[in-house]
Amino acid sequence: MVSNALGSPTLHMKAEMAVALTGITKRFGAFVANNAIDLAVRRGEIHAIIGENGAGKTTLMNILFGLLQPDEGSIRLNGEETVVTDPAVAIKAGLGMVHQHFKLVPSLSVADNVFLGMEIRRHGLIDHAAQIARTRELSKRFGLQVDPTERVGLLSVGIEQRIEILKVLVRGARTIILDEPTAVLTPQESRELFQTLRSFVAEGMTVIFISHHLEEVMEVSDTVTVLRNGKKVATRPTAELSKDELVRMMVGREVSFDRRPRAPSRGDVVLQVEDLWARDDRRLPALRNVSFTVRSGEVVGIAGVAGNGQTELAEVLSGLRPASHGAARLKGQNLAALSPREIREAGLAHVPGDRMVRGVDRNASIAANMLMGRQHRAPWSSSGVLNWTAISENASRLIKDFDIRAQGPGDAVKRLSGGNIQKVVLAREFTNGADFLLIDQPTRGVDIGAQEAIHDEIMRQRAAGRAILLISVQLDELAALADRILVMFNGRIMGEVAGDGADEDRIGMMMAGVAAPERAAEPA
Amino acid sequence: MIRDRLREVSGQIIAIAVALILGAIIILLVGESPVRVLMTLLRGAFGDQEKIAGTLLQTTPILICGVAACIGLRGGMFNVGIEGQLFLGGFAAAWVGFAFALPPGIHMLAALALAVVAGAAWVAIPAYFRARYNTNEVVSTILSNYVAVLLTSYFTIFLFKRPGGWSETPPILATAYLPELFSFSRLNWGLVIGLVLALGAALIFRYTSWGYGVTMVGSAPKFAEYGGVNVKRQGFVVLLLSGAVGGLAGGIETLGVHHRFMEGFAPGFGFDGLIAALLANGSPVATIFTALFFGALRSGSLLLEVDTSASREIITVIQALIILSVSAQVLVKRRGDSQAGERRWKF
Repeated sequence: MVSNALGSPTLHMKAEMAVALTGITKRFGAFVANNAIDLAVRRGEIHAIIGENGAGKTTLMNILFGLLQPDEGSIRLNGEETVVTDPAVAIKAGLGMVHQHFKLVPSLSVADNVFLGMEIRRHGLIDHAAQIARTRELSKRFGLQVDPTERVGLLSVGIEQRIEILKVLVRGARTIILDEPTAVLTPQESRELFQTLRSFVAEGMTVIFISHHLEEVMEVSDTVTVLRNGKKVATRPTAELSKDELVRMMVGREVSFDRRPRAPSRGDVVLQVEDLWARDDRRLPALRNVSFTVRSGEVVGIAGVAGNGQTELAEVLSGLRPASHGAARLKGQNLAALSPREIREAGLAHVPGDRMVRGVDRNASIAANMLMGRQHRAPWSSSGVLNWTAISENASRLIKDFDIRAQGPGDAVKRLSGGNIQKVVLAREFTNGADFLLIDQPTRGVDIGAQEAIHDEIMRQRAAGRAILLISVQLDELAALADRILVMFNGRIMGEVAGDGADEDRIGMMMAGVAAPERAAEPA
Repeated sequence: MIRDRLREVSGQIIAIAVALILGAIIILLVGESPVRVLMTLLRGAFGDQEKIAGTLLQTTPILICGVAACIGLRGGMFNVGIEGQLFLGGFAAAWVGFAFALPPGIHMLAALALAVVAGAAWVAIPAYFRARYNTNEVVSTILSNYVAVLLTSYFTIFLFKRPGGWSETPPILATAYLPELFSFSRLNWGLVIGLVLALGAALIFRYTSWGYGVTMVGSAPKFAEYGGVNVKRQGFVVLLLSGAVGGLAGGIETLGVHHRFMEGFAPGFGFDGLIAALLANGSPVATIFTALFFGALRSGSLLLEVDTSASREIITVIQALIILSVSAQVLVKRRGDSQAGERRWKF
């Protein structure tokens, strides 16, 4: 096994295509994660697969690696038709996968982790010296700097990723799949990773690289395949593509400007954000110098490719993440000084992007879900005692008003479809009397009919004088609803365009971080 | 709604049935008749009014400990330290009982109050570490049991030992006794307190804003946080309350049954209570019945060695089988609904 640690090149060199997927379809219930996807990866190239969250990238790779079985389609590895029943088959065919979440044993050394499950033995005992030497050799050869004797628990995430790559190499991989490898890395570590990937292809190996970051795809890949909503949009040589072309393919070429009619209704400033900075879960800056205002009666849109600071912005504004610098004021009150509950009481309603985790308790009833955030207020409770009759009646009314398809307020939320669950969240948040609505991805995973209804409801809230911040990765949604659109890239606001003049190309450029056209002067 | 309930209950019943069938097979293997063992158990648990009272006497601490566990489970906290809180509560109540002279009634209430404080104080250490540093409360509360049991042993043997006696404290004064319910049994007001606690806890969780917030912290913590519930603080409070009730269970056992603190005075009640709560799926009212079931097993087993050739330990085996089948059932459920499974078994 070990002598074969870098695979036996002769065996796999026959076919020009390292990987060829044909007509791969994968359904989860009614949801089609992959829809008849063809993918051909040439030997010796770095092939990027790019697409938004939920576009089907990871599902496709899991199918390729045997972690999921496709409903339709076939897989050819090195030119041979293969049924990848489980990862062992994929590994034997020379595939290796580095997952988003690492699977390392913190108490073992680097070398022990690399060889876990396939230890080098001498006289029946583990030959640590040989394992260390072999790890050192591989790490030198591919620029994966690690100390093989160090304990993994003491190392940074970036180094853990190198260990995962070494594990894959030692198991003889000639085609390496990396699932969002840079998501956990600092920019410096990312550059080092790209060096390593280039050294792989220099040795005739193949790299498949999943990402939703345009910059790095442009920087490191030879070929790009774009997925959107489970379908393949295109496969093109990277050199032929520009960043904004790529953005358009990712977010959808058909930006329909089906703009909602509206009357001007700008009022007082409700939310004022000034020079706001915040860090993400890796303690890296996720928001940089963000400033904007939202007035009552207007919808301000935040556009951007997912993962450019939108999540962090929503969390800071709802009190779930501290700001590291700057201030956000809701009707004059500094949010930094308030708890999430106090922010709600000060006038925030929040439709969270992560609906299933943050937006509802799936196991609880509709009535109980609609109570959240108002359980301390009359008429839902008095002196701390809940009034379930009022709660239940209110839930019944909201079910009717928001056209939620459910049997009644006692129905468990998990029995509802995605669109109806979102309507439960909207119904709760839009009726709690808040002046500021923070709406994050309101129609993600929601069918067309429900989308229309949700958009109508947002416009009704605007007409009622609410100040609305609408975060969406769907440009057409923003163009239809927003009065102004701010474009985020890498934690910064790159610029602003008026909603009625939303220019796809200009927004696309800013989403790619290419240019920062001067910000439209805010009308007085 | 109702169908969900039914499915949940049927799952627990199947779990118990599987355990009993496996238990029957083991009884066959040791060469005894399962039917005879069952009949003996039933006779031992419910044969006459004294036996029924005996069963209820065993049920009382299991029920109160079960309510303590339910309070924790509701808020997503696994208090495995109830055994230790019970021991400290028991000792604290005994100390008030023998070291002070107070008017009747007040003496008893003071002893129970200190038991509550002792239980809460003992769990406060793991609860603080959970809230401040996110340490796993399962591990820290389990470990706190050993310290609590040995600490009370130390108090009993070295500091407050009754001269000439076994490893026990001096008897408490009669002014601190928990009144008995009947003349023919040591069954006391503790049972009533337990029932009130179970019903009270159910009502509080269902009908108060606070209970709603706690329930949401337990079942969907990110949702609760988003909705403005202070998840860390509620976790701390819930553990403290759970510990307080655990301490109360010890106090009731001391003041109602033993009238002194003895080393190892209530072996396993804390753990039985936790299992009863798990079997009841965290519902305080259902815990009344599961606690009665375990109480009947304990009390019925006394007759087992007298009337059959089976050992009393067969009861422990059956309990272990129930734990296994309940957890297996949770694992099966988890396939459909991983969140609920992980919540209850998040080791």
